[in-house]
Amino acid sequence: MQRRKGISIITCAAIFIVLEVAALSMLRHSGTMQNLWISKGVHVILANVWGGTESVRYYFSLKKKNDELADENFRLAQKVRYYQMVTGMDYATDINTAVDTVGEYRYIPATIVKLGNNSQHNYMIVGKGYEDGVEERSGLITSEGAIGIVDAVGRHYSYALSFRNSGISISARIGRTGPVGPLDWDGRTSSGAILGEIPHHIRLTPGDTVYTSGYSSIFPPDIPLGTIGEARVVNGATYEIQVSLFEDFSTLRYVTIVNNIGKEELEELEKE
Amino acid sequence: MKTAQHFGLLYVAMTVVQIIICNCFHLSAYVTLSLLPVMIFCLPTSIGTILSMLIAFVTGLAVDALAEGLIGLNALAAVPVALIRRPLTMLLFDEDVIERGESISFRKYGAVRISAAVLICQAVFLGVYILADGAGTRPMWFNLARFAASLGAGYLLSMAAAAVMLPDEKK
Repeated sequence: MQRRKGISIITCAAIFIVLEVAALSMLRHSGTMQNLWISKGVHVILANVWGGTESVRYYFSLKKKNDELADENFRLAQKVRYYQMVTGMDYATDINTAVDTVGEYRYIPATIVKLGNNSQHNYMIVGKGYEDGVEERSGLITSEGAIGIVDAVGRHYSYALSFRNSGISISARIGRTGPVGPLDWDGRTSSGAILGEIPHHIRLTPGDTVYTSGYSSIFPPDIPLGTIGEARVVNGATYEIQVSLFEDFSTLRYVTIVNNIGKEELEELEKE
Repeated sequence: MKTAQHFGLLYVAMTVVQIIICNCFHLSAYVTLSLLPVMIFCLPTSIGTILSMLIAFVTGLAVDALAEGLIGLNALAAVPVALIRRPLTMLLFDEDVIERGESISFRKYGAVRISAAVLICQAVFLGVYILADGAGTRPMWFNLARFAASLGAGYLLSMAAAAVMLPDEKK
């Protein structure tokens, strides 16, 4: 009964539209002003329909656009790293260096396909594997900071430990030339970290930026990580400083995997 | 009791009257007299919405072709009246009127309810008619004045037509 009523309403609406369109069509051909008025109305309706269609199409193409922008962003970041190295460090570059390689580091753009963000042992699954050149103990970075370390590598995917994991520590420096200490997640907040082992004779200014030190074989130097906040003296000798991270871990999607090309050589030297 | 055949003849006669009004009675630029809305409203309740829309379209087209310069204007304005006829009847009269196929009469439902129905039908018809006739070239105040004057004049004429068209159960 309800279905029959629905069909009846749809039929009525369809016949109403057909009759009105027929009347408008006849009216359009019988008066100049009516012709202009109806044409204008038709154009407005068509513009709205086309605009709406275009908006829907644009919405569904956003993912592709995002991927394109991420690629472009990666290429630009590579150029910036290259020019920083050439102008700042002043050493010759190898002309045979691969396009994704700058100095001692090789960069690979990637997307996070899964993000575990709700425990003390947070992790990430990255959509690049050993076929793409990813190695264990590679770093994961964004323009907002160092976000994790690759722990296991599959053919097409890699498993990485998030910085928001109680087992991860990053070597960090206050400012570009300041003291260095280990930076760990504070274990409580989404954007909080603790920078430890900073000698207590150092004068600290809240708001100073913390960068990667470059002393580890995983992360390149000078990646901004966050800003320092309150500090307290621990064991009477060092500061423990609260750091507010730049990265918002809940919205992570596009990352860069960074491999230190000379990592194995460094590790061998350390063993000896 | 008026038979269906009687009503058909009456409907054709009213259409002829409407054509005469359109051809001969140009009272003012502000007044448009039309019997079409009340004619459509007075169609027997047993006639469904689809058929009444088709009747309204054909009647409007006939008036356009035989009386006015703009073909499609009356048809354009008459079809929406046919579309709202049954919901309006259910709203203003009894919900069962349509299901029982009962006729609407002054005696049973009174002049006030019928007046309201006639006014609403006239308003819908005139709204579409005046907008399409003006085609966006006339100022709003002119359209409103024309609407008000036409509604007033059309109401009186329509009530007289309704008295003729609607069945009188006393007889």
